Amino acid sequence: MTRTGPAPALAAAIACAALFVAWEIGARLARIDGLPPASQALAQVPAILGDPEALLNIGASLRRMVVGFALGVAVAVPVGLTMGRSRHVAAFFNPLLMVIYPVPKAALMPVIMLWLGVGDASKTLVIFLGVTLPVIYHSYQGSRAVEQKMLWSAAAMGMTAPARLVRIVLPAALPDILAGCRVGLVLALITMVTSEMIARQTGVGNILFNSLDMAQYDTVYATIIIIGALGFALDAAFEWLRGRLVAWAEPAHPILAGTT
Amino acid sequence: MAALNGTSTVIQLDQVNKWYGQFHVLTDINLQVKQGEKIVICGPSGSGKSTLIRCINRLEEHQAGSIVVSVDGKSIELSNDVKNVEAIRKEVGMVFQSFNLFPHLTILDNLTLAPIWVKKMPKKEAEEIAMSLLHRVRIPEQANKYPGQLSGGQQQRVAIARALCMRPQIMLFDEPTSALDPEMVKEVLDVMIELAREGMTMLVVTHEMGFARSVADRVIFMDRGEIVEEGPPKEFFANPRNERTRTFLSQILHH
Repeated sequence: MTRTGPAPALAAAIACAALFVAWEIGARLARIDGLPPASQALAQVPAILGDPEALLNIGASLRRMVVGFALGVAVAVPVGLTMGRSRHVAAFFNPLLMVIYPVPKAALMPVIMLWLGVGDASKTLVIFLGVTLPVIYHSYQGSRAVEQKMLWSAAAMGMTAPARLVRIVLPAALPDILAGCRVGLVLALITMVTSEMIARQTGVGNILFNSLDMAQYDTVYATIIIIGALGFALDAAFEWLRGRLVAWAEPAHPILAGTT
Repeated sequence: MAALNGTSTVIQLDQVNKWYGQFHVLTDINLQVKQGEKIVICGPSGSGKSTLIRCINRLEEHQAGSIVVSVDGKSIELSNDVKNVEAIRKEVGMVFQSFNLFPHLTILDNLTLAPIWVKKMPKKEAEEIAMSLLHRVRIPEQANKYPGQLSGGQQQRVAIARALCMRPQIMLFDEPTSALDPEMVKEVLDVMIELAREGMTMLVVTHEMGFARSVADRVIFMDRGEIVEEGPPKEFFANPRNERTRTFLSQILHH
């Protein structure tokens, strides 16, 4: 199977279209007040995107998400990589992470708001927490999987331990790190919306819940569509970047497949 | 082989001992290597031969005795002093059984990594040296591929070129051909023979007795962590003195 050509894009378009058709038919049959047909919701999308205030809200959301995500990755990658190469560091962090992992990050939001208020700092911190754990976990796994023998050959050429971590372990674990970042990106989006749901001021979550309060259901669904499209676009952009960064790890390497 | 031009000692092992827990993996090893000497170390698996050469660049630590490596007139004793270990590793190249190339780097970048980051060599100069070494191991056309795209024999030749990029005074080979398909063994041995002819000091752990016959100045037989027998290849193969050597040779030479 090749991954070139329009086939995946076409499949995605068909899947989306099928979803909207099912929604349209379902809504028209059910006639529930809180479930407008897809056509009505879609009609609201240009209205939201054309409204300067709504765009400011979306921009504020994305800014917090980018900051939280970047900080999360910057902290998580070094921690994960070091854990993978040192049993002592892993023994220190592992129990801590196991305690924090199952706690829904949004559940910490009210406590964090007591410390940092309802502004950007609280929301960014929650996004940061949502991002760090999957990125640490994947970086840790990737770093552990780097063969000791490979590090031996670097050591045998005189590379110091920190140089080996940066020059060998980091790039070799990059496919895993990026897999973690991909999960982190989705979690950043989720925590972004939930944080705005709890501390309403600005943001996509704010539009969503304000319109819900005012029973503007078509706007509610239109916002959900926008969030979904945002996630899809971010993920596609990230996959494109990942493909460029770790081409060497692609199993379908053209020449590799051609060797006898 | 030709007479050795320099007679200075480059590696000196005195009463080296090493244990893995209770297991005595190296027992009272004494070994002296002169500049330009080629030594082949053979022995059954588990005899400690790989451990021995890994101790020489301290990928493994010995617990008793002393190992002194002399390069450029300086004698450095291996200890926990990281500076000493790094100084020795810059001068001692090593080639492993499983190639151990960096999968995320192209062949050229595999070669230039250590010269650039350890020796602080300018990138252009490192690449020139790398390309000349790839010519020497006869695979310059592979420079921009990744290790996964090369055959085992090609990868091992890259690994040799990578070690030579650091301009080492001594080369250690840890079973360089045992992970290769039979048809690829020769291309790697040819590169090693050429290197030997150019006067490199070499310690080679291998069971390639043809290689030992044609290039080795001395063959060392190890068993159960001890050096059991050593001598020039002619003598070693014609009249092994020890019973264990005879048994080992009969096992690997008769098919």
